[in-house]
Amino acid sequence: MPDSGYPWPIETTRLDNGLRVVVSEDRTAPAVAVNLWYDVGSRHEPAGQTGFAHLFEHLMFEGSVNVAKTEHMKLIQGAGGSLNATTNPDRTNYFETVPAEHLELALWLEADRMGGLVPALTQETLDNQRDVVKNERRQRYENVPYGDAWLRLLPLLYPPGHPYHHATIGSMADLNAADLATFQAFHSTYYAPNNAVLTVVGDADAAEVFALADKYFGGLAARSDIPAAPDGRTVPATGTPAVETVTADVPAPRVYVAHRTHPFGDPGYDVTTVLATVLGSGRGSRLYQRLADGERIAQPDLVGAYGVDLAHAPAPLIATATARPGVTAERLRDGLAEVVDELATVPVTAAELDRAKALLSTMWWRQMSTVDGRADTLGRYATQFGDPARAADRLPGWLAVTAEQIAEQAAALLGADDRVILTYLPEETS
Amino acid sequence: MTLIATRPGPGAARAYRFPQVVRRTVAGGQVVAAHLPGQTLAVALLLLDGGAGREPVGKEGLGAVLAKALEEGTAQRDATAYALAIEALGTELVAGLDWDSFQVSVQVPVDRLSAAVELLAEAVRTPRLDPTDVLRVRDDEATALRMDWANPGPRADAVLRADLFGAGNRWGRPLYGDPESVAALEVDDVTVFHSEWFIRPGTLIVAGDLERIDLDALGATAFAGTGGGPVDRGGPIEVPLAGRRRVILVDRPGSVQSTLRLGHPSPHRAHPDHVPMTLAGTVLGGAFTSRLNHLIREVRGYTYGIRGDFASSRRFGRFAVTSGVQTAVTAPALVESVGEVSRTQLTGVTEEELEVARSWRAGQLSVELQSPRAIASALTTLVVHDLPDDYHARLREALLAATVEEVSAAAAAHLHPESLTLVVEGDAAVIRDELVAAGLGEVVDHT
Repeated sequence: MPDSGYPWPIETTRLDNGLRVVVSEDRTAPAVAVNLWYDVGSRHEPAGQTGFAHLFEHLMFEGSVNVAKTEHMKLIQGAGGSLNATTNPDRTNYFETVPAEHLELALWLEADRMGGLVPALTQETLDNQRDVVKNERRQRYENVPYGDAWLRLLPLLYPPGHPYHHATIGSMADLNAADLATFQAFHSTYYAPNNAVLTVVGDADAAEVFALADKYFGGLAARSDIPAAPDGRTVPATGTPAVETVTADVPAPRVYVAHRTHPFGDPGYDVTTVLATVLGSGRGSRLYQRLADGERIAQPDLVGAYGVDLAHAPAPLIATATARPGVTAERLRDGLAEVVDELATVPVTAAELDRAKALLSTMWWRQMSTVDGRADTLGRYATQFGDPARAADRLPGWLAVTAEQIAEQAAALLGADDRVILTYLPEETS
Repeated sequence: MTLIATRPGPGAARAYRFPQVVRRTVAGGQVVAAHLPGQTLAVALLLLDGGAGREPVGKEGLGAVLAKALEEGTAQRDATAYALAIEALGTELVAGLDWDSFQVSVQVPVDRLSAAVELLAEAVRTPRLDPTDVLRVRDDEATALRMDWANPGPRADAVLRADLFGAGNRWGRPLYGDPESVAALEVDDVTVFHSEWFIRPGTLIVAGDLERIDLDALGATAFAGTGGGPVDRGGPIEVPLAGRRRVILVDRPGSVQSTLRLGHPSPHRAHPDHVPMTLAGTVLGGAFTSRLNHLIREVRGYTYGIRGDFASSRRFGRFAVTSGVQTAVTAPALVESVGEVSRTQLTGVTEEELEVARSWRAGQLSVELQSPRAIASALTTLVVHDLPDDYHARLREALLAATVEEVSAAAAAHLHPESLTLVVEGDAAVIRDELVAAGLGEVVDHT
């Protein structure tokens, strides 16, 4: 394996209006990935406007000054491309991968919606996409068993007023109250070139991309007063567990145990990532070995642990298990808590550590195996840490984690008195 | 604000190329590989003729249970030792099946590929299949299916499949079985299925940097101790169309959305209309910009998404539309969806729509076939459907050459709006009267 986590060239520039441009040339396939990270997410939303950053993401596909409604999708797909966008608490990203000869089209489309969305935004479009997003909420969160777990975990992990207190999908009431002027202001405030990173990876060279970026984005005005999100880096420990039990139409008891750890990007979060893999990734993990195999109280397909890679506050570590038939929620909860507790008391063996690092290495190289995966990674590091080249440090960071660091972190942060426990109970058994 | 108003045209087109394909015969089996110079990761996938189509009627879910039982220990080591050994290489054993094949694969940094293939072969060829473990895996799989079937979708899918293909046929029952069929499986079912289909050599698919991979050695490992030749795979199955359209209502009390599954039988994979049919499906429902998504999501706001497509295996195929719509608009969403199917069948596609569809499908070959996993999957298509090494290049040309007349003719021939089965999984008490009033066809309750 290469020593660096990013063995490809990276070239960067900054336009006069503040737009950062990152290019990583790779001529292996005749395709190019274009990716924009805007440094705005649901953490910026004030009370009463939850879900707005995400609803706004939908509006970005509905036309701009020189692009008719729905034409964006048609042009990219008509060029043979794939495209999408996502919103999370930290940021909003937009991306397309196209056959290389359509690079300029992709840049033109991205510039037009960065600089020219507001005049094209209509009440009709807002109403339509509000309905679409409400259906997204029904489909992903309301109409499926356990679908609202994330919505419930966030307010248990982060206090009112914290930027991660509410979920990105937002509330139905806030979505219903959304008015056009608010969205016009949202774009003017946050969709500025100096609040974005443009990354291009694949069959294109840096000089060409820099010139095209200047041609299409160079005329857009910077904004000097972009408001920061509330600072969430300090979350005081309460000293008491936050416990919630939900009785719902679910097929079996399920337990989530969650903790606040470190922000993504901190060395401590590298420890969290390896710890989560030791704890809950794969059949060789502690949770699988203890709860699915050993005691056989958890369903084997539904046991696991993972960190949620958020960078602006201590990020969550979540462990979950679902009961086998005949196993009570209490027994499952005790079993899950015991395995988490033992991270501080039962040292991680060399074999456990090597297993976790091998799985993480494959996961890293899988992300690097496509131009779109690389583009999103570089955009993240440029946006969140000011330097795309820092992407190369992540894999070595994971590989340097020791068993002692895992035990120390478990003792410091994963204690029972600072734990979130969310339990689902089926309606019949309540 | 200064924006460039003129949309740029394309630059000089780059040549399309699928990776070089290498085929070998080794130790009684076939190796099919693609060269990906410089890739850090490699994928090896063992392709066996043991898909769901090989399961006897009444034994649905057999392959899925066997897939999990493979990891419950081998002749050499127990389940925990096996998990630790394979995960120490950086991979899990990924086992699964479709109608045509059973697939087991590993994905690792290329220098660990031979060790990973040794462990793959150990699990596939010499699993322990201890009766106690098999029964526990069976019970876990039945539980997992019960969990899955608590979500909207699986019940509607099963009802549609049974109505299209007949519940008396294996292909009229769910691909992975249902909770009851899995719970009824016996140890012998699993061990016999293994001895019948998992000892034949099969095909080893490899995607990675072939300068760092010894294909002959990998093949020798994968095919060691195997025997038995290929078994006839059967021809296409004639599936009759329904004589009339009807609605089947699957009750899900309290559901805030209605899950829609509309469908009818369609041709098998080797049918000569495969390309124009794919494009007709793309214009109607296969892409974000297609007719169904445009009307039902972007104009009406009834849904987060709706899609329609033709899907096919070696022996049969089906056209289907899938969506989840807000409960209150179930009837209008159905009426308008059927309307788009009818319009496409009657009046075909336009050049403007087809231009997007053919460019998109062709461009996707460059855009989506990048990772070793994606390339391995493309090689699997070549093997399962007996296609030549230059298939993807030829497919690209065929997509780009398809005319409005050909695609409209395929839509006319292969869409059957009057024979659609419309399965609606939702709150029956709320939506039944409106469904009856919509006049789409007889409304029957699924029992």
